[in-house]
Amino acid sequence: MKKLKQRLLCFFAAAGFVLGAAACGNASNEAGETNAAGSATETQATEEAGNEAAGAVLSVDDLPGKRIGVQLGTTGDSYVSDYESDGSGTAVERYNKGADAVQALKQGKIDCVIIDEEPALNFVEQNPGLRVLPEEFTLEDYAFVVGKGNDGLVEAVNAALGELGEEGVLDEIKKNYTGTEEEVGSYLYEKQDVERSNGTLVVGTNAEFPPYEYYENGSITGLDMDIMQAVCDKLGMEMKIEDMAFDSIIPAISTGKVDIGAAGFTVTEERKKNVNFTDTYTTSKQVIIVADAGNAGAKSSFADKLYDNFVKENRYLYLLKGLGSTLVITIFAVMIGIVLGFLIAVVRTSHDRTGGFVILNGICRLYLTIVRGTPVMIQLLIIYYVIFQSVNVGKTLVAIIAFGLNSAAYVAEIVRSGIMAVDIGQFEAGRSLGLNYKQTMSAIVLPQAIKNILPALCNEFISLLKETSISGYIGLMDLTKGGDIIRSITYEAFLPLIVVAVVYLLMVMGLSRGVSVLERRLRNNER
Amino acid sequence: MSDNTVILEVKDLCKSFDGHEVLKGISTTIRKGDVLALIGPSGCGKSTFLRSLNLLETPTSGHVLFEGTDLTDPSVDINQVREKIGMVFQQFNLFPNMTVRENIMLAPVKLHKMTDVEARKEADELLARIGLSDKADAYPASLSGGQKQRIAIVRSLAMNPDIILFDEPTSALDPEMVGEVLSVMKELATTGMTMVVVTHEMGFAREVANRVMFINDGVIQEENTPQEIFEHPKSPRLRDFLSKVL
Repeated sequence: MKKLKQRLLCFFAAAGFVLGAAACGNASNEAGETNAAGSATETQATEEAGNEAAGAVLSVDDLPGKRIGVQLGTTGDSYVSDYESDGSGTAVERYNKGADAVQALKQGKIDCVIIDEEPALNFVEQNPGLRVLPEEFTLEDYAFVVGKGNDGLVEAVNAALGELGEEGVLDEIKKNYTGTEEEVGSYLYEKQDVERSNGTLVVGTNAEFPPYEYYENGSITGLDMDIMQAVCDKLGMEMKIEDMAFDSIIPAISTGKVDIGAAGFTVTEERKKNVNFTDTYTTSKQVIIVADAGNAGAKSSFADKLYDNFVKENRYLYLLKGLGSTLVITIFAVMIGIVLGFLIAVVRTSHDRTGGFVILNGICRLYLTIVRGTPVMIQLLIIYYVIFQSVNVGKTLVAIIAFGLNSAAYVAEIVRSGIMAVDIGQFEAGRSLGLNYKQTMSAIVLPQAIKNILPALCNEFISLLKETSISGYIGLMDLTKGGDIIRSITYEAFLPLIVVAVVYLLMVMGLSRGVSVLERRLRNNER
Repeated sequence: MSDNTVILEVKDLCKSFDGHEVLKGISTTIRKGDVLALIGPSGCGKSTFLRSLNLLETPTSGHVLFEGTDLTDPSVDINQVREKIGMVFQQFNLFPNMTVRENIMLAPVKLHKMTDVEARKEADELLARIGLSDKADAYPASLSGGQKQRIAIVRSLAMNPDIILFDEPTSALDPEMVGEVLSVMKELATTGMTMVVVTHEMGFAREVANRVMFINDGVIQEENTPQEIFEHPKSPRLRDFLSKVL
């Protein structure tokens, strides 16, 4: 452990340098942690933050005018939005993850976080110095979500829920996750051995919401998941879980990517416009987490954190698996990018030089305009939710296609500029010797163009590698998402983020180094 | 020196760039063994005319017949014809990413004229002929302008062409290197190679060419033997031009 710690300290030095000004505040707080890695007596940054906030949030009535953090698309989000427009100056900060909101609260960037009770209790347990206000923000009913018009499924699920309720299974599952201390963990639902001839039920969830849905030992579990499994057992169906961003679940249901959403969905009028709800299966509260200035508890040591984040339950495997996906996506996307990019570039330059390929050139230009004119994240979502709406293809394949198509547009313009930069005389010399257009291009022009554009191409592939970090938006577990999963389990923002950053950095450095060696070798050729 | 075989026949060749007429109807016949020097003020169209002969410029109208084949006919495979028409450029246009030998071997091997071994042998012989055998494995960047142009000439020779077009082959050279390039061209002329040379070297035109063509304003102003052109110029434009360059 000690050796590992030393190595990590080196990481910190590098990471502090890399994060630079952007993460200045964070870095300085965390640098303090590093120095005091072994000691448990340091004061927490949250303490100051708590004291600074003039007029802390002590009840629901205090909310107007405060900075409130919520998770995007949750019930808390929709309720709090009312405060935003009432003229009291309330600022709502919407985070993709509850853990991010809690982190922001710890750093004093917001005054409170409104979130479901169960995850709130987990957050508070893991983060000394935070507490849940006794007064709840609102009560809410949880139900499963089914697509509009899929009344058959709603009825079937309701019938199953009814039976499970009568048999007491629902109560047991609830006790297993949200009951008293003795009850929790002692009513584990066992998957029934039944015939599953009625097909597969694809369940969409956002496994960052314990105890309703979360990762444990590499697989997704939780109250919602157990109920879903029990329902599937009743219906004689296979269950398939699709993990995705919370605000992607309803669109995924609408487009038929998943059959049913199970992610602690609160029944709201707004949602009813877009989806059907099943019967309520449990009731929860939205509560308010605040930073408690006077109650900064002892903090776990750095070594403990390291153990919690990466070693415990083999959590490093999330990063390792994610890294695998990131590499696979990047490598294949680069291949698509190179092949397609070169083809487009050749079509474009051929058109410029000879006037041929009029239609093809038009298509290429349209393609370039669209791809370069829209964010890659939107393209990824469109390819997943719209283009492959009804086709069941793997997410990795979708990501490869999306990033490959995106990269091709940039590669095409880089290659085109490289071809244009080769002296026209080279082209004429080739043609005057009797080589045709294709032979001249491949034997004379392209080899010279490639040499010129190598640095730019390298940059493009470095960007591509980093851009794959948005793969999590379609629920794909890449390196970034792997880190996110660890964060959602350990409620610790710093370590997983830094390690993920360092892994990306190392890959990029390796790539840059490889290309500079290649570049030098090519240059030597001309002397 | 020239026999009667017609290599190139040009009929009423016109070329415009964006409405600007550069060549206004040029007709001539080039026979085997001819060394035709094209002279004239810059911008007169002599380079455009030369480049039209292997269709690097596409004529706006008129015909170019190479050994009886009309190059302006779209059904003609121009690549096949170009194998027989060598070209040497003002800027040499050697391929910088290949060695000297590779430069010479590229076209014969790519176009299946020779095997790799044959092309290598041919390249080495050609290099020996111009005294640059020691540069076979060098890259163009390490050569002087004169060396580059001599290699460009043998590169076009490697395809065993019936005619070679020279587009101001010595204009980009330092003065002390002009001689070595001209002497290679002179040697080429003595072997009976048909050549069309756009040049500002009046000495070369007078000494080596058997015909000199003075082009002005997109037309052939005057064409004759070197002696007649240089000693008895008829048109005032030619006299004016010669008075400036001689």
